[in-house]
Amino acid sequence: MAMHFIFSDEVVLLFDFWSVHSPAGMALSVLVILLLAVLYEGIKVGKARLLHQALMSLSISTSQQLIEETDQNSSSSDPTPVSRTHLRWFLCHFGQSLLHVAQVVIGYFVMLAVMSYNTWIFFGVVLGSGVGYYLAYPLLSMT
Amino acid sequence: MGHFHHMGMSMGMSSGDDNSTMAPSHHHPTSSASHSHDHMMMMMPMTFYFGFKNVELLFSGLVINTAGEMAGAFVAVFLLAMFYEGLKIAREGLLRKSQVSIRYNSMPVPGPNGTILMETHKTVGQQMLSFPHLLQTVLHIIQVVISYFLMLIFMTYNGYLCIAVAAGAGMGYFLFSWKKAVVVDITEHCH
Repeated sequence: MAMHFIFSDEVVLLFDFWSVHSPAGMALSVLVILLLAVLYEGIKVGKARLLHQALMSLSISTSQQLIEETDQNSSSSDPTPVSRTHLRWFLCHFGQSLLHVAQVVIGYFVMLAVMSYNTWIFFGVVLGSGVGYYLAYPLLSMT
Repeated sequence: MGHFHHMGMSMGMSSGDDNSTMAPSHHHPTSSASHSHDHMMMMMPMTFYFGFKNVELLFSGLVINTAGEMAGAFVAVFLLAMFYEGLKIAREGLLRKSQVSIRYNSMPVPGPNGTILMETHKTVGQQMLSFPHLLQTVLHIIQVVISYFLMLIFMTYNGYLCIAVAAGAGMGYFLFSWKKAVVVDITEHCH
């Protein structure tokens, strides 16, 4: 394995079937890696937004429950809203965990792509991270 | 150095034992930029593979040869990834709990109508030689080492071990961040 950056049109990336021989194939591979890096940045922001949305909706629903419960003091206590909130929180958290697994896997894939020591691929990763950050992070504060 | 050569040759024999759907010629790189270093290309696999014969894991004495050893390694890597996620969240919690020293700085700034307004800055910090900061530093070192170990494990390109890393990270995030999110909900309500 060459331990320095090289400019080359031939590389094998991650999987056996992903072997590149030609400039056109290299351009396509760089594009795919770029989109992968953009997706990685997007997932990072998406996780934070999902958590924020979940907390907001859950705090709203719990305060509504408190209002309802104080209104109906003597009426029968309804346990279903509490369990519905717990179920919603569980599903939300499960979704976030899946998103986390996707983030870990994509992060490692991008690291392995850089490890191929192909300079074009590295440019694709750097550019993709930049573009992804540029597009995604404004969405983080747009709450 | 002879060990790596042996690993390259034995990988050719182990491809027949895999029950994977990958092409058996995966250990021969079809395209290599430098043809003079062919035998060195087999030292480290550069594509994903599923196998458990002669898999070197991090340290020189740690070689996996049987399915049972691979299962044990899978469990160990899974637990390591889970521990890493838990360590990250434990550090966040410790940091939040130890940030008790809050300094308020008030400075006068000119207002819109020529009035003087007081702008108050709140800085949250830690002393350098305090025990919480030293503990954070030690935990940071452990976290860095474990994160590099997980990266190196993923770099073996072994499919089973990579799945163990990903699944362990997911399970760790699910278990530990659950509690953290509940705590965050309560403590960060009124700012």
